[in-house]
Amino acid sequence: MLILTLKKEWIESKREGRTLWLSSIILLLLACALLSSWHSYEQVQTQKQQVAKSERERWLNQGDKGPHSAAHYGVYIIKPDTGLSVLDPGLSDYQGSVLRLEAHKKNDTLFRSIQDAIQMQRFGDLNPAFILQTLLPLLMILLGFHSISAERESGTLKQLLANGLSPKKLFIAKVMALTGLGLLFFAPIILYIVYSLLFGDNFSAGRSALFIASYGIYIFIWALLTLIVSSYAHTSRSALISLLVIWALACLLLPKFAIESAIQQYPTESSQAFQSKLESEVYTPERQQAISKFKQDTLAEYGVENVDELPFAWSGAQLQFGEQFANKVFDRLFGQRQMQLQAQSLHYQSAAIFSPFIALQTISMSAAATDLAHHQLFDDAGESHRRLIQATLNGDLKDNGLASIKRNKSYRGDQHLWESIPDFTYQYPAIAQLMSHYGRAVICLLLWLMAMMSLSYFAMRRIENEGQP
Amino acid sequence: MKIDEKTNVISVTHLSKNFAEYQAVDDISFTVKQGEILALLGPNGAGKTTTINCILGFLKPDIGHVNIAGIDPSKDVVKARKQLAYIPEQVALYAKLSGLENLIYMSKLAGVDKTKDEFRQLLAQVNLPTHATNKPIGSYSKGMRQKVGIAIALAKSAKALILDEPTSGLDPSSSHEFSQLIQALAQEGVAILMATHDLYRAQEDAHSVAIMNQGQLVHSLVGNAIKETKLESLYLEHVRAASTC
Repeated sequence: MLILTLKKEWIESKREGRTLWLSSIILLLLACALLSSWHSYEQVQTQKQQVAKSERERWLNQGDKGPHSAAHYGVYIIKPDTGLSVLDPGLSDYQGSVLRLEAHKKNDTLFRSIQDAIQMQRFGDLNPAFILQTLLPLLMILLGFHSISAERESGTLKQLLANGLSPKKLFIAKVMALTGLGLLFFAPIILYIVYSLLFGDNFSAGRSALFIASYGIYIFIWALLTLIVSSYAHTSRSALISLLVIWALACLLLPKFAIESAIQQYPTESSQAFQSKLESEVYTPERQQAISKFKQDTLAEYGVENVDELPFAWSGAQLQFGEQFANKVFDRLFGQRQMQLQAQSLHYQSAAIFSPFIALQTISMSAAATDLAHHQLFDDAGESHRRLIQATLNGDLKDNGLASIKRNKSYRGDQHLWESIPDFTYQYPAIAQLMSHYGRAVICLLLWLMAMMSLSYFAMRRIENEGQP
Repeated sequence: MKIDEKTNVISVTHLSKNFAEYQAVDDISFTVKQGEILALLGPNGAGKTTTINCILGFLKPDIGHVNIAGIDPSKDVVKARKQLAYIPEQVALYAKLSGLENLIYMSKLAGVDKTKDEFRQLLAQVNLPTHATNKPIGSYSKGMRQKVGIAIALAKSAKALILDEPTSGLDPSSSHEFSQLIQALAQEGVAILMATHDLYRAQEDAHSVAIMNQGQLVHSLVGNAIKETKLESLYLEHVRAASTC
């Protein structure tokens, strides 16, 4: 029956011409978006590999110099991308992809694509996720709004039912036909993922499975929603208007409203304000007092009166103490900001109860590692590496710098020291470990599915009652 | 075998149906046997379509019950509908599909398993012109659409055929052709219930006639009595009598 209905819908659509045109436009857009994203991804990956390699060489070949000079010389680390980021760039353009690690400072990531974007690009970026999340539901609505309502208007619904067709089977066949059509547009994406899983790198099976499953459910939800509205509508016109209103609310207005509401509810400072707050809270009289106290404690511990009498280079110990003092401030201030951003993110996710778009968008970005949580994980890993660098360099100065200082010479580290600091490599954790960040969205998407399936029962009853006044 | 001796395919027993304060059907009973054509006559609003909708299971009777080949539509509507075919005044088919495609789709949905050639033969059997078989239904006349409707009934080997105003809007030639088709179906044992205003067709084709007015069955005629009665006078007499009450 499903194949029969699919075939009949296909013949009708083909003769009508509308399906072919609409489908061709969306497929063309999808192909363009996929090719352009893939091309851009390949370019960026090559550049990132080159930069990472040259950056390591730069660090290793910086020559002999004081460890603290090297700490200020700094290193740049590159944020990795998953293969799925081709499909959903998420917040990548706003987050930046390079982090500079240096002494005394915890930097924000650099090279945010959006800064280089022309005004039109900021209006809306054409990527596969945008097409699948926003345009595909619209296409499904345009192709399916009249599925039942037109049958009602033309009288074929009564004819079909009088012919002994079960309303349940009719509804299911129509839903499957529309879902099948939706999945047809998703098929190139599935093929790309499967191919990349088999022959490429940067693809995780778990993330890919979550990505495919969530989009599959999303397409099914829109097919059910379209058929439910079509079953209840008296005319195809009213079905189309109702569905377009739902689409505009779910995919355009509610997400905007949810973002605004999240910002209002959990406000964050501007980047400039935050940076100046960092400066003012790190370099305080308390810091000087803490350093003085540390100095007194150290002198007392070693039973000496002057730092020159200590069995190690005091400058290294003092620098490390200063780092640790600043780290506490960083942990507090960045922690507060992260909490606000996470609260914004969760607040936004909660709106998924009103919009399957928000649910899918959240899951999709998580699977593609282009959301806030993944960015924060990278940021944390970068900060750990920065602290490791500072501890290693300051420790080396403290342990080995005394002889040079006593000879009134500045201590210089060499390549051996630079090599003792490992190259930064980072891999995102398994997606299951990040459930707390996107779990709410998963629950909302499943709730949407359950709600649509429950409403389908009533839609079938509505079809069953066809002919009643 | 005489019709009287055949089994009932459609049984309507003490059927009543109200819509709020309005009594659409008021305690009517009749049967249609295998091979019998029953013409249900009555003016607009007499309750004919409500009766048909109760038989088709689109409406549930308030009182009384309906039985289609041993199945009560209010209990198992899908099974009951599988026993019958329904041809409304305007046969509803898919305008973009051809006659053959409509027949195949409708029949297969009803569980009929036939080859394309067999379906083609059915269209030939109902005298649908061969050149029209593959043309979209949108270009068909009403008579041609009805032929496709009858072909659907033939394909699913329906035990009962329900016709709602089948000849309204047909030219005399198409009406005659249609009459021949339903008589052929009756001869094959199909029970036919035909709600109509067409007194001439009723007198010509029906084995029994039931006149409805204001929801009630006001007169019945069976067999030769139909031909021997001045049906138009009888009909008008009942309709006028009711309107003066």
